[in-house]
Amino acid sequence: MPHPEHGVHSIERHALPNGLRLVLHRDPTLPLVAVNLWYHVGSKDERPGRTGFAHLFEHMLFQGSAHVGTNDHFRHVQSVGGVANGSTWYDRTNYYETLPAQELELALWLESDRMGFLLEGLTSEKLDTQRQVVINERRQRVDNQPYGRASELLFEGLFPAGHPYRWPVIGTMADIESASLDEVQAFFRRHYGPENAVLTLAGDFEPETALASVERWFGDIPSGPAPAPVSAPLSALEASVRLEMSDRVHLPRLYMGFRVEPFGARGWWTAFMAANLLADGKSSPLVDDLVVREELAQDVSAYVYPTEEVGVMLIVATARPGVDVARLESRIRLHLHRLGGNPAAPIAWSIEAELGRARRRALISIHSELQTVDHRADLLSQYATFFDDPDRAFGEATEIERVSESAVTRFAGSYLNAEQAASLVVLPAGA
Amino acid sequence: MSATPDRARRPATGASRLTSPPVFERLELPEGLELYLAPRAAVPLVELELLLTDAGGEKNPSDRPGLARLAAALLDEGTMRRSGPELVADLERRGGSLGSSSDWSSGSLRLSLPSAELEFGLELLRELILEPSFPPRELERIRRQSLAELARRFEQPAVLAEEAFAKRLYEGTVQGELLIGTPSSLTDLTRDEIVSFHARHQKRIGARLVLAGDLPPRGQGRGVERLLGELAFSRPARPVAVSPVALEHVAVVVVDLPEAAQTELRVGHLGVPRRHPDRTALGFLNALFGGKFTSRINLNLRERLGITYGIHSRFVDRRSAGPFVIAGAIANHAVGLAVREILDELRRLRDERVSSSELEETRSYLLGVFPYGLQTVEGIAAKLRDIALHELPLDHATRVLEEYQEISADELLRVARQHLSTDRCVIVAAGPGDDLARQLDGIGALEVRTPRPDGERNRKGLKVFA
Repeated sequence: MPHPEHGVHSIERHALPNGLRLVLHRDPTLPLVAVNLWYHVGSKDERPGRTGFAHLFEHMLFQGSAHVGTNDHFRHVQSVGGVANGSTWYDRTNYYETLPAQELELALWLESDRMGFLLEGLTSEKLDTQRQVVINERRQRVDNQPYGRASELLFEGLFPAGHPYRWPVIGTMADIESASLDEVQAFFRRHYGPENAVLTLAGDFEPETALASVERWFGDIPSGPAPAPVSAPLSALEASVRLEMSDRVHLPRLYMGFRVEPFGARGWWTAFMAANLLADGKSSPLVDDLVVREELAQDVSAYVYPTEEVGVMLIVATARPGVDVARLESRIRLHLHRLGGNPAAPIAWSIEAELGRARRRALISIHSELQTVDHRADLLSQYATFFDDPDRAFGEATEIERVSESAVTRFAGSYLNAEQAASLVVLPAGA
Repeated sequence: MSATPDRARRPATGASRLTSPPVFERLELPEGLELYLAPRAAVPLVELELLLTDAGGEKNPSDRPGLARLAAALLDEGTMRRSGPELVADLERRGGSLGSSSDWSSGSLRLSLPSAELEFGLELLRELILEPSFPPRELERIRRQSLAELARRFEQPAVLAEEAFAKRLYEGTVQGELLIGTPSSLTDLTRDEIVSFHARHQKRIGARLVLAGDLPPRGQGRGVERLLGELAFSRPARPVAVSPVALEHVAVVVVDLPEAAQTELRVGHLGVPRRHPDRTALGFLNALFGGKFTSRINLNLRERLGITYGIHSRFVDRRSAGPFVIAGAIANHAVGLAVREILDELRRLRDERVSSSELEETRSYLLGVFPYGLQTVEGIAAKLRDIALHELPLDHATRVLEEYQEISADELLRVARQHLSTDRCVIVAAGPGDDLARQLDGIGALEVRTPRPDGERNRKGLKVFA
C-alpha cells in the first residue's frame, strides 16, 4: 500500500512579513483548489460570562466586509460552484472554501477582505440577526436534542472552574444574548490578525503564481500584537467525579470522560488507538461484547478529542431497555482492566489482535480522508497552527503504526483508571 | 511585493480546465449478473456494493412493515459456514467495513476494503447473499434492538416530524409506514417470513454489483472473474409503482411536543420518480429554491428573518415518486410566519420567471460544483450506484451537465407549474401543540397528534416498551 506520507514532498512553506503563515500543497488531479484559513482562536480564548464569541464570530465572518456585501461571501463562492463553510472549536476557528481552480483569486479576495476589512462592514443589525441564528443553532443542536446537554455537563466535571475547556464552544444562551457590538469588535481586533493565522492552499495551482497572489491580497494587512497564549493550569482530579442528570430520553446513557495527553503528543496517539481498539467496528471488544453478545447496550462508541491543552477521551454507551447503568459501567470497566493487561474471564480478548484490527482500519480511514483537497488543506493548517510543522499532516500513518501493544497497556493502566475520570449518567425524566 | 490589489471589485476568473465525467462501464455477465465498474487507481481502496433491486421496502406486504429492512439487516448476521461475529471479525481484521441495509427502492450489501482484498470481498458477498443462515438468536437480538430504536424516536422531534410527514403523504401505502416497521409488525415478524423474503426478493434475483476504486485491469484479475461467474441472478419483474391517493387540499399536522425548545417543520408533497424526464430540471429549480446555502428560502428565513439555523429543500429519489420536502427547525414563536413565507416562495416559483442573474448563478453553481463530488472513491461509487439502481444511461452525468447548460427560465417555470403546488401539500410541525395550532390556524385542514412515548400497545395487549 503506498504510504500517505508520500505527499510530504510537495509541501511548501512561506511566511509574510505581517506574520501570516502560508502552506502550499499542489495536486492537479482535479481542477479544484481548497483555500483554508485557521485562526488560532477558539472558545478557550473567551472568559466565563463572555462565552460563545469565537463561534458568534464565525457567523459574523460571513456577513460581509468593507468590499463584500452581506451574504455575498456565500453568493460569490456558490455562484462559481464552490463550497464554503467555517467551524469553531475549543482551540481554533477555521474558514474554508473549495472552488474550481480558476477561481483562486476570488477566494483570496474574500478571505483577505474579511481578515483586513471586516469591521467596516459590521453593524449591530447584522449582529442581532446572527445572534438569533446562533440561538436557533443552539436550540437545534443542544436544547432540542436528546442527551444534548450531556457533554457540556461532563466537561464541567472534567475541568475545574476557570479552566477554558469548561464552557461550551457555542456559549451559553445568556452570553450570546448579551454580547455587545463593542465587545465583538474588540474580540476581532485581538484575535483575527495575520499574526494569528495560517493560510493553506491545496489542489490545482502553480505555487509561484499562488504565492505572488497571496502576497498581493494579504501583504498589506497590518499585523497586531500576538495575542497572549491562554494559560490553563490543570490540577489533578482529586477523586473521580460522578454526575447525573435527567433528560427527555427513553434510555439511560453513560458518558465516561478521561483526561489524556494533548493532541499531537505520542501519548495522544496511544489514546487514539486505545479508543479505536475498544470500539471501532462491530467486532471490537466493546461493541461485540456489550451490543452483540451481552445485549447490555444499544450502542457504544469511544473517541478522543484533538484538543491542544489536554486531550479528552470519551466512552459513551446507551443502555438497552431494562439494563441498569451500573451494570453497563462495570462491564466497560472490565474491558478497560483487560486493556491494562489484566485478562480476567470472561474478558480475555487479545490486545495484539485487536490492536492489529484497529491499526489497519485507522490506516484505511486516513487514506480515505486524504482523498479530498479540503481535508488535506485542513490538516496542513491544523499542524501548522498547533506545531508550526505542516509536514506532520502526512505523518499520521506513521504515528499510528508506532503505537505498540505495551504503550496501549501502559496507557490504559495509568489514564483509564477511575481517579482520572469524570462520568455522567443521563436518566430518563420521571424514571 | 506585488502591486496593491483592487479590492473594490471581484477579481477576474482565470483560465478554466474542464473536468470530464468519470468513465463508467457496464457488463452483463452470462450468468445474469449486471456489473457496473468505475476504475480509479488513485488510492488503494475499493468500494463494493451489491444492490438488491427487488428487495426494497416497497416490497413489504401491507401488513408487514419492516420486513425488507429486517431481512437486509440479517444478511450479515451469519452464514451456513460461520457465525456473524466470526465473519465480521475476519473482515475487520483486514481493514474492511461492511453494511447491510435497505431503503424503499432496494436492499444493499456494501463493503469498503483495501484493494488487495478485492477477491476476499467478492467471496464474502457471494457467501452473504447465497448462503445466509438467519440465526434465530441474531434475529431476536435485532428485533429487540429495533424495538428499542422505535421507542427512542419519541425523544427525537425531527424523526417524529419526518414520520408524520411520510404517514400523511403516503397514507394507505406501505411507504406511509416506517421503513423499520411498527411495534406490532416487528414483534410479529417470523424467521420463516424472512427466509421466504430472501428466497423471493434477495437471492438470485435483481442484483447489480457496483465496483469502484483500484480495480485490476480486465483479464488480469482471474480470481475476480471466476468469483463473478459464481454470482448468478435473474432479472426481476418490472416493479409496480407505488401510487398513494393524491392530496386534495392542504393538510396541516401538528405533532404535540409541549416542552420542545424549537419546532421541526416539514412542508411538501409528492415529487417525481427518479427516472422522470423533468428530474434534472427540478434539481436545478430546487438548488435555487432551497438546495444551496444562498437559496431563496434560506436567505429569507435564516439571513433576513433569523428564525432558523437553516432551512433546505430536496427531491428524494425513489423508483416511484419520492417526497419533495422543505425541512428546517424553526423558533417556536415564528412557525406560522415560516409556513407563510415558504408557501409564498413556492407560489413565486409558479408565478414568476426566474431572473437571468439567478438563473446564471445557479447554472454556474451546478456546473462548477460537479468535480467536487469526484474526489473520492465513495463519491464516484455513489454516482454509479444511482445509475445502476435506476437504470440510467452510463453517460448520465454528461447529459445532466448538458441539460444544466441549456436550461431556460421558461423551462423552470414550466416544471414549477407542473410539479409544485401550494394548495395540495402536507405541512407538519412538531413542537408545542397549542401554540402551533393557533399559529397555523386557517392554513389548511388541521389535525393535532399526540405521540405516545411510553405505552404503545401491540395487538396482543402487551406493553412493548417496559
